[in-house]
Amino acid sequence: MKTLYASAAALALLAGSAAAQDLKFAPGADARFNWASYEALKSMDLSGQTISILGPWLGPDRDLVLSVLAYFEAATGATVNYSGSDSFEQQIVIDAEAGSPPDVAVFPQPGLAADLARKGFLRPLSAGTDAWLAENYAAGQSWADLGTYAGKDGARALYAFPYKADLKSLVWFVPENFSDAGYEVPQTMEDLKALTEKIAADGGTPWCIGLGSGGATGWPATDWVEDFMLRVNTPADYDAWVNNTLKFDDPKVLAAIDEFGWFARNDAFVSGGAGAVASTDFRDSPKGLFSSPPQCYMHRQASFIPSFFPEGTMIGEDADFFYFPAYAGKDLGKPVLGAGTMFAVMSDNPAAQSFIEFLKSPIAHEIWMAQTGFLTPYKGVNTEVYGDSTLRKMGDILLNATTFRFDGSDLMPGAVGAGVFWTGMVDYAGGKSAADVGAAIQATWDTLK
Amino acid sequence: MDGHAGTRSSLVWAVNLAAALMVLLWTIPTFGLLVTSLRDSDQIAASGWWKAPFTSVQSDFVRAGTAPDQVAEGEIWVIAGNVLEQGEKLRAWGTDSRDPMAFAPGDVATLADGRTLSVAVDGAYRLTSPVEFTETRGMRIFITTLTPPRFTFENFTRVIGAEGLGQAFLNTFTVTIPATIIPILIAAFAAYALAWMEFPGRALLIAAVVGLLVVPLQLALIPLLKLHNDIGLGKGYMGIWLAHTGFGLPLAIYLLRNYMVGLPREIIESARVDGASDFQIFRRIILPLSFPALASFAIFQFLWVWNDLLVATVFLGNTREQLVMTGVLRELMGSRGGDWEILAASAFISIAVPLVVFFAMQKYLVRGLLAGSVKGG
Repeated sequence: MKTLYASAAALALLAGSAAAQDLKFAPGADARFNWASYEALKSMDLSGQTISILGPWLGPDRDLVLSVLAYFEAATGATVNYSGSDSFEQQIVIDAEAGSPPDVAVFPQPGLAADLARKGFLRPLSAGTDAWLAENYAAGQSWADLGTYAGKDGARALYAFPYKADLKSLVWFVPENFSDAGYEVPQTMEDLKALTEKIAADGGTPWCIGLGSGGATGWPATDWVEDFMLRVNTPADYDAWVNNTLKFDDPKVLAAIDEFGWFARNDAFVSGGAGAVASTDFRDSPKGLFSSPPQCYMHRQASFIPSFFPEGTMIGEDADFFYFPAYAGKDLGKPVLGAGTMFAVMSDNPAAQSFIEFLKSPIAHEIWMAQTGFLTPYKGVNTEVYGDSTLRKMGDILLNATTFRFDGSDLMPGAVGAGVFWTGMVDYAGGKSAADVGAAIQATWDTLK
Repeated sequence: MDGHAGTRSSLVWAVNLAAALMVLLWTIPTFGLLVTSLRDSDQIAASGWWKAPFTSVQSDFVRAGTAPDQVAEGEIWVIAGNVLEQGEKLRAWGTDSRDPMAFAPGDVATLADGRTLSVAVDGAYRLTSPVEFTETRGMRIFITTLTPPRFTFENFTRVIGAEGLGQAFLNTFTVTIPATIIPILIAAFAAYALAWMEFPGRALLIAAVVGLLVVPLQLALIPLLKLHNDIGLGKGYMGIWLAHTGFGLPLAIYLLRNYMVGLPREIIESARVDGASDFQIFRRIILPLSFPALASFAIFQFLWVWNDLLVATVFLGNTREQLVMTGVLRELMGSRGGDWEILAASAFISIAVPLVVFFAMQKYLVRGLLAGSVKGG
């Protein structure tokens, strides 16, 4: 009996080590990780079962998501087939309509998930998941609302699980350029505007702004407008704007658009002049920060942008960011604009629902956190795990947000949020008045009703 | 043509000039792509490809060494090194981002805390301090240099070394070869029937085939995939061969039928008189005579299937084992795209096989392109 136990233990050890080789961080080794949650996953036995996942991540991002999925496979015995597509939005619709959807789909935009839920292609997540989100995510109710859609029968339910967040309210700068010129990081929007004027008065160019993005040209400007919607108007106004109870040509919205115009439509404030804003590619625009002499001092963009910085740039040393500040004169707290990906189940495969359970475990978040490009609003994780101090700083902004709002253009109907809002902002950058642009966008929205 | 020598030569001159211009115009983008594929991403961001072959003035900065690089020289601490890369010539340098050309080569700059920095003509710099250096990130030295043209094969090695490219190459062949042969087989029979067999409704059928030419294939993606799923075909090679066959057939039938209808009636009728069956006529007479048209369609279809990404991702799927080459190359571009240098190198790697096919069969292409345009013959 004793030898049997011993050999069984040895076998288990062997099997364990074989599986552990594929895992990025050996289970149990690093005390910062929540390994208890990993061990708990082993109670789900899914051996022999297969889950297919379709998502938008390619290249390096794909390797990162695979490193997380490996833990699910190792703990439960399931096999996960992840495939990525850069035309995810089209592909998922084709697959769903044709009747060969993946088991789990990763939506970069809640609007698209809501569409598919309404057509009956998504399966509601297990009961209690929405309460779990509200309790365990920072600003949890807003996250739960993001994944709650009306189904085919019209009943609202939680269909998509938010996992992996992006932070949008960030301004990137080169600390050494700031210290050469004696500039300080602004704490309020009033300071930021004063700094902008000061840089221009000193003969420099404060901002690099680029709206170009191929067929999606204009989207970076929608982020600016959304950030200002949260800084000049209340969160309630923002929500009303997103579902169009507050019209696009309302003076409150036009005020937010004109705040963007204050920065982008002034030749002295933008690298290349206001005319270059719409034609500069957003991927090229941050490079001006690093040129000699600097073409600009600041760049407002989401947390992903360092992948377009010149090779070898060290975040935190060569480049850093600060929170896109709020007006001190307005009592609106510290609003944060973000985005995130939503996991939804598209088949009746029971293993797919188990996969969503996996996303609720801290370890699913910590593995990616410990690498790069991942933020989470999950309060149950150990922020010590973050791969670098920059991510930790961003994670803190996310966890300390008094108001978190999702990228509004992703929530609007496709024809607006991924259509006239983009082109309207290009027109605005080109000199059209905010009132004209707002009226044109509202006119399109009216036709959708 | 005799007796018009004068007019002819002047016309030839004009035609040649026009042809040369057209060739130039058509090759410029390809040439630009080639040059781009040999530059790195920072160069692409900094200047256009047409500036690549010239020496350029560039402003940049390099970082001086850090604390571990220092050596003690008597009373002072020194960090030394070189700011220039192979072939660069120093024009000016500076220490402040707002005035990057403050000093000439050979000057000595006095910095805060009693430090000095000098950069010599050959790029050797010397940073001195009365106290020990402690920094972990070196100070920036801004340099303005004359940089000779520089090209790199790194983009190509990155693409060729990409994970899964070999598998994808095989997948593409597995898709492309049957997807080229099957439509030709079917279309040749159909074209013969439409050209030389009398049956009611033939003209209508031809009109229908011509009509199908203008139907965009995107329209058929969802219904076709639905059909494949319903009959249990699902996603796989069988499905994609059928899909490509379907999408390629209208053009194939139209092209081959127009060619075959132009073959001399006498040959076919004398064969009929001799008692040949339709199949014998098709196999012994029509097929050998139609070879140029078959070859030219084969090239068309091969190129289209080879370059296809849309049909492959819909009917074959997206997993690593199923990806075709265009899929892997797209993956290299990353989630947000924008890697021009990779795109350019990928383009050149992926056209290698189609180029071989094209040159091997090009003598048929020209004859085949004229298929059906010249009656008789």
